[in-house]
Amino acid sequence: MSIHGISAIQAAAESMTMGERGIESAKVILTGFVVVFSVLFLLIGIIKLYSAIVSKLQSGGESRKKKDAAQKKKVVSVSRTVAAPEPQAEDGIPEEVVAVIAAAVMSLYAGASKPRIKSIKKAGGSRSAWANAGVIDNTRPF
Amino acid sequence: MEILTGFLNAIMGIYKSSGLSTLGWQNYVMIAISCALLYLAIKKQYEPLLLLPIAFGMLLVNLYPGIMAAPDITLVQIATKDDPAAVGHVVRTIGDTIYYEDPHYGGLLYYLYQGVKLGIYPPLIFLGIGCMTDFGPLIANPKSLILGAAAQIGIFVTFTGAIFLGFTASEAGAIGIIGGADGPTAIYVTTKLAPHLLGSIAIAAYSYMALVPIIQPPIMKALTTKKERAVVMEQLRPVSKLEKILFPIIVVILIAIFLPDAAPLVGMLMLGNLFKESGVVDRIAKAAQNELMNIITIFLGVTVGATASGTNFLKLDTLKIIALGLIAFCMGTAFGILFGKIMYKLTGGKINPLIGSAGVSAVPMAARVSQKVGQQENPGNFLLMHAMGPNVAGVIGSAVAAGVLLNVVG
Repeated sequence: MSIHGISAIQAAAESMTMGERGIESAKVILTGFVVVFSVLFLLIGIIKLYSAIVSKLQSGGESRKKKDAAQKKKVVSVSRTVAAPEPQAEDGIPEEVVAVIAAAVMSLYAGASKPRIKSIKKAGGSRSAWANAGVIDNTRPF
Repeated sequence: MEILTGFLNAIMGIYKSSGLSTLGWQNYVMIAISCALLYLAIKKQYEPLLLLPIAFGMLLVNLYPGIMAAPDITLVQIATKDDPAAVGHVVRTIGDTIYYEDPHYGGLLYYLYQGVKLGIYPPLIFLGIGCMTDFGPLIANPKSLILGAAAQIGIFVTFTGAIFLGFTASEAGAIGIIGGADGPTAIYVTTKLAPHLLGSIAIAAYSYMALVPIIQPPIMKALTTKKERAVVMEQLRPVSKLEKILFPIIVVILIAIFLPDAAPLVGMLMLGNLFKESGVVDRIAKAAQNELMNIITIFLGVTVGATASGTNFLKLDTLKIIALGLIAFCMGTAFGILFGKIMYKLTGGKINPLIGSAGVSAVPMAARVSQKVGQQENPGNFLLMHAMGPNVAGVIGSAVAAGVLLNVVG
């Protein structure tokens, strides 16, 4: 029976017996269940597939960049050995805050690369009070 | 004496055209209901963005039914085509009689309602929703789609209930879609399947969406154990910009090919999302999610409310719809949780079943409820982002379910 064929239910709805109603609605449930799950399962497969392809493409690009960077580093290290510079923290930012920011950066990028904080500045005034209120409203737990 | 008679006639004319003589008892009941809804929208803030215009539209149409009146034409008989009364009018000859057309324009809300009737407003609302939706949690955990699909089972189960209560298949389909907990989808499907039920279905759908924090927690707690509710889920992987850009394009291709009836809703949702994720049309994205969405929300709310006139709304069927809508909503929540439990078992306890209830759409309220109930068991547990996956999957799932219903019973 084609999907369109089920629309015959509407015309016959009022004259149907209880048994017929049961059979016809079971057909709609089955169709709905199978189609919704099939489409969404297909979507799961496609998302997984293209995510894998994208991450492979991007990791390939990243490893190439890393290689280039490593080669450049080698050239530099032959000429001089330089210690990593201290992050340039703006005056008035306590050491504890610098440590917390460093920890947050490390937890976010851990494993991917070795992040380095060059400077820490107060954002001061980049976001209006209304924008702050919006962020709070959208991020607070229910 | 003549002046007094003229005065009395004028007063009688005003009285006859006023609501005092034209409104029936049903209209007064509806005025009371609309005032109660206005109270809920303003004082209790239950989905005020939609409930307030809906309630006001309901109030207007019951005070002045002509505001939703369709345009019509009266044929006035004249003796000759050159009759001065016919100047500026279309003159028609039927048989030997000559008439001129005296047009009566429709009410304000009748014209605005055409956007609902023709299925224009709901997809435009979806455009704005697409601009505001982050599909990142869903892309990071595509299994969320299973929960989004499971929560739609309530729609089809309620369809059965409605059929057994004597509704036609089209009406049952429109009632079942309340379980999708998605206002624009419910309105879109109802305008296509059972436009005469639009008022009661829209009001039931938005009322239940507003009541998500009250309806869902008892079901969630009844179907899960303390141990399941306390599960802390692993952090989601970061999703690249390219994946986010590809997602709307792939989804719209897939759904429009397999289920064309869902294409208007899903297409607009994904277009809005592509505006957002592409990052190259910020102006359009902002317009779609702010100005356009706000304007459409006003038109949609007021005109949907205006379909709830006393004679249309005050029927036994409305009570049945409200009861069936609640069942649809509860079933959707329950099936989402039950599939969450299945996933909990299959993954060896890595999935918290509470995120399953968010599959009923109602973005982001349902996800917030998952977060809240999860935190009651474990204050350090943050389920919000995990629940956003099934939540946005529910939007896609309900649009797909709408496409199925339109195809099957439309």
